[in-house]
Amino acid sequence: MAFSGALACIKPVEQTDKKPEEKYVGAKTEIVVDSSGSYYEVASEGAVQLNNTSAQIDNEASTGTKLEQAQISLNDCLACSGCITSAESILITLQSHAEVFTFLDSNKDATEGTKKLPVLSIAPQPLASLAASLTASACSSSSSSAAPPITPHQVLRRVQAFCREALGIAHVFDTTFARHLALREHLLEFEERKAKDKLGGEAAQGQLPMLASACPGWICYAEKAHSEMLPFISRTKSPQQVMGTLVKEWVGKHAGFTPDKVYHVSVMPCYDKKLEASRQDFYNDVYSTRDVDCVITTGELELMMREKGWDLAQPVPGELDEEAEAVNAESTALPELIQHAGSSSGSYLMSIIEHLQRESAVPLTLSSKIMRNADYEEFTLTVAGSGKTVFKGAKCYGFRNLQNVVRKVGRERGVRTAGGAAGRLAGRAGAGVGRRLKKAGGGGDDDGGKDKQYDYVEVMACPGGCVNGGGQLKPVLPKPQESGVDEEGYPRDWVQTGVVLPETETEMGATTALRADVDPPSVAAIESGVVTNAKWGDKDWTRRVEAAYWLDGSLESMGQAGVQCDEEGSGAAEIKMNGGPHDPDAPPRTGTISSTRQVINDNGGLDTLRAMGGGREGPTVSGRTGGRLNVKSDATSAERRRSAQRVRKQRWAEKLADRVLKELCGSDNDAVKNRHRFFRTEYHAVESDVGGLAVKW
Amino acid sequence: MAAQGTHEVQPLADLESHSDRAWNLAWNPKHPLIASCSADKTVRLSSYASSSGNTLAPKTVRAVAWSPSGKTLATASFDSNVGIWEQEQDEDEDDEDGDVDMTGQKGLGNGEWECIGTLEGHETECKSVAYSSTGTLLASCSRDKSVWIWEVQPDAEFECMGVLLEHSQDVKCVAWHPHEEILASGSYDDTIKLYVDDPSDDWYCFTTLKGHESTVWSIAWSPCGRYLASASDDKTVRIWAYAAAASDGGADSKNKVLQVKPPSVISSSQGDGRWVQVAVLDSHERSVYSVSWGKGNNGSGLGWLASAGGDGTIRVWDVQESEDSSIALNPKLIASYPEAHGVFDVNCVSWNPRAGMEDVFATAADDGSVKIWRINPSKEAGSD
Repeated sequence: MAFSGALACIKPVEQTDKKPEEKYVGAKTEIVVDSSGSYYEVASEGAVQLNNTSAQIDNEASTGTKLEQAQISLNDCLACSGCITSAESILITLQSHAEVFTFLDSNKDATEGTKKLPVLSIAPQPLASLAASLTASACSSSSSSAAPPITPHQVLRRVQAFCREALGIAHVFDTTFARHLALREHLLEFEERKAKDKLGGEAAQGQLPMLASACPGWICYAEKAHSEMLPFISRTKSPQQVMGTLVKEWVGKHAGFTPDKVYHVSVMPCYDKKLEASRQDFYNDVYSTRDVDCVITTGELELMMREKGWDLAQPVPGELDEEAEAVNAESTALPELIQHAGSSSGSYLMSIIEHLQRESAVPLTLSSKIMRNADYEEFTLTVAGSGKTVFKGAKCYGFRNLQNVVRKVGRERGVRTAGGAAGRLAGRAGAGVGRRLKKAGGGGDDDGGKDKQYDYVEVMACPGGCVNGGGQLKPVLPKPQESGVDEEGYPRDWVQTGVVLPETETEMGATTALRADVDPPSVAAIESGVVTNAKWGDKDWTRRVEAAYWLDGSLESMGQAGVQCDEEGSGAAEIKMNGGPHDPDAPPRTGTISSTRQVINDNGGLDTLRAMGGGREGPTVSGRTGGRLNVKSDATSAERRRSAQRVRKQRWAEKLADRVLKELCGSDNDAVKNRHRFFRTEYHAVESDVGGLAVKW
Repeated sequence: MAAQGTHEVQPLADLESHSDRAWNLAWNPKHPLIASCSADKTVRLSSYASSSGNTLAPKTVRAVAWSPSGKTLATASFDSNVGIWEQEQDEDEDDEDGDVDMTGQKGLGNGEWECIGTLEGHETECKSVAYSSTGTLLASCSRDKSVWIWEVQPDAEFECMGVLLEHSQDVKCVAWHPHEEILASGSYDDTIKLYVDDPSDDWYCFTTLKGHESTVWSIAWSPCGRYLASASDDKTVRIWAYAAAASDGGADSKNKVLQVKPPSVISSSQGDGRWVQVAVLDSHERSVYSVSWGKGNNGSGLGWLASAGGDGTIRVWDVQESEDSSIALNPKLIASYPEAHGVFDVNCVSWNPRAGMEDVFATAADDGSVKIWRINPSKEAGSD
């Protein structure tokens, strides 16, 4: 729950056992629950080694391996914790990097005809996470204070090289073209809803505000706790699932593979994407296959590279080259890393705002207002002259803000705010409030209608949005290894990766603040000068990943921008122009991946949701120019060239999107039906079992 | 049985019983009213003089809390919700609900009490609820391990300010600092966690108090706000304080002198001191379910601490600060009352917060009854 939310936001799965690969291999295991509620993985045939940390488990379960909670439940996601069913958790357990290895091994030996086409799609947020991590590692290991930042473009090239050379996956895409398709569908849906909303009456019910649907944590939470919100949630598939359709139905087809003969792995910033891929709605009954076969997180991808001994810090040939545009009309090449201005979580809100501005007959002025914190921001479009508000939207990230949007929408649109017992009580409450408000001489509209209701809300469960997803790499801060204190100032035993010391974990707040009577670990914390307040480090880190997300991959920007390494680890990553030459022959920096991994590995209580705010995205959502780093530049010809490039890429993406739609959906009477089949989905309220248990105290 | 100590506990009144175990009670801070709640799914409001009415909830009501104004009552219920109840101001619409039959209460007009809002969010049973000292914030906790903080807004509206998932188990209780915006929570994970708001960000847990060997059932801040008492299933009541090196302790450089400092939002999260345990009261024979810290009526010291639980005995402690430089407290048991509710567990003890009634407290127990008590100086012992 709290969702996860949060932990505070979100914690990556911790590998506490030393040989995870052996445990995951083969699906012939069962998950059993013992009397204490612990979960064990038990091999159906033969015993599995006993985890050495679980000494006092029941006899019953002792033939199995105690599972870390995070492996079977999405506690790390504040939107889901505790409420996913066992069936879901098993599906998720089956989506691991080990599964990918297992598939690749078996596919290698498969006979002609049963061999599948492996495809890997990576979302832009994992690329940003890896880029920020590599940049930070380079900073902390290099003596100079400025190093060129690693861009998502470079990371994509390196991941492609890894997949090709170490895994044998030839087809590696990023998901931004799928997002381009999703955003188009999303706009269509918004216009449909707006039209129905205008009709008023019955038809208008549940149309606006349209709520973003790309965050599976939010979807899961809404289905389980706020079914009254479901009509408002956009039916458009998320980019991951659009990518699934694209890969299985279009890329695969062009390559001569039926959907079941394509094995599609996606790399996502979020554990809940596993849950999304497992949804029944994304199962192809005809071919008995899912649009996305296996979802792994950024952290799991990094783990794969580590297990294969691949150093992502090593540049690969041609990684700074510009993307070659497909000239062949028959080509199935996809445009890469299309930047959609707006947010690093998919730019859903901004794409609608830009669309409205584009379509409007009169000039519209966009203004924005930060509400309680940077994760809750309102955007208003007004007619330039009259000041009339034509659109009001909000971006709303993090579980807490999500609560308030649910309450606000429920109140404004007159939908009841819960089901079950709560609903009964709320019903009565509603009557009471109604009476009261009537007496007060108004409803919610205290400003006499000036307070326009929302038309659209970009909802994401994670504070800071997807760049801060639970599957992303943990922050890399300077020199954690030497001092035995981790990135959050927690004392750690680095040798025993994976073994969490609960004492130091929870005592932390007390000990690091102490000077008069310190325990040994906190001495280390103070002496090392590591940030003692965990959440600041994380927030700052999110800002760095955000900055990396918007890095332009072109050669010119590479040569001119340098990232300022912040030795304190406390400042925002500031990209500055230093005019320094880019050195493509920089010596490979060894050890960066492993140090990153330590950070990932070492990670405490899974139930803990740190309340972590995302950083203000700076330039990304504040205006029409959004989507670029705040690089102070004398508008050079390079800048103009880049912008021309972007326009070209957009045009390419549009053209290809037209072609994909035509090829997939046809242009006859069934085109709309087909488009809905390929690009939209449904949501289903899940009955809550609250109160089903006989709790006595 | 005779009381021990310098004072005695005098039974004042038995309120009409609930039909199932009474879990919690709350004295209205402004009006002569007690709210009690029960597994019988009712909240009962009792005026000091006359008796009461019920309001029905769908599930067990585990805890009740009054806003500082005394006008709003919050209920924590096993239907996972927090209910917000206010009294109808006017009599003009006499809407007979059947469910709500709360009638006239002395000192608060005759309006009907109605649920004006619910706070949904907890996934499972809500266990405790509390208003901050100014009444602008409301906290709740649940078996779902979370603590939620809401800002109270006009028109029965609430804005979620934070969802804190710090505990690893069921959260049993929440308690606000008497004048700062600091929240404490106690849990089945045996710990107490303290939270403050980061003005530029969200609420966060700034410290965890560990020491109890079992569930922390109840938390009470001292009236001065410098101490925190906790009651636990490990049969102890512990007192905690924020201690820092004394600023003038330079003379004794080897043994740094610790001083108990008032916690504030700033010092608590960024100061150089830390929270320490300054007393352990271990005379209860069974689990201690409730602790309440009142001003006492002797005008000195830190006030009176009352504790009660599974052994059925109410214990009252006088808490004074040490006269030497030690920060340790040595609370003196001034009165006790065994079998306060017969053989039944006492679930809640609570001092009356109203001026002039500092020596009165109430208890709620498994037998469904709510009793009112007064502390009097013993006849034998000299008054303190």
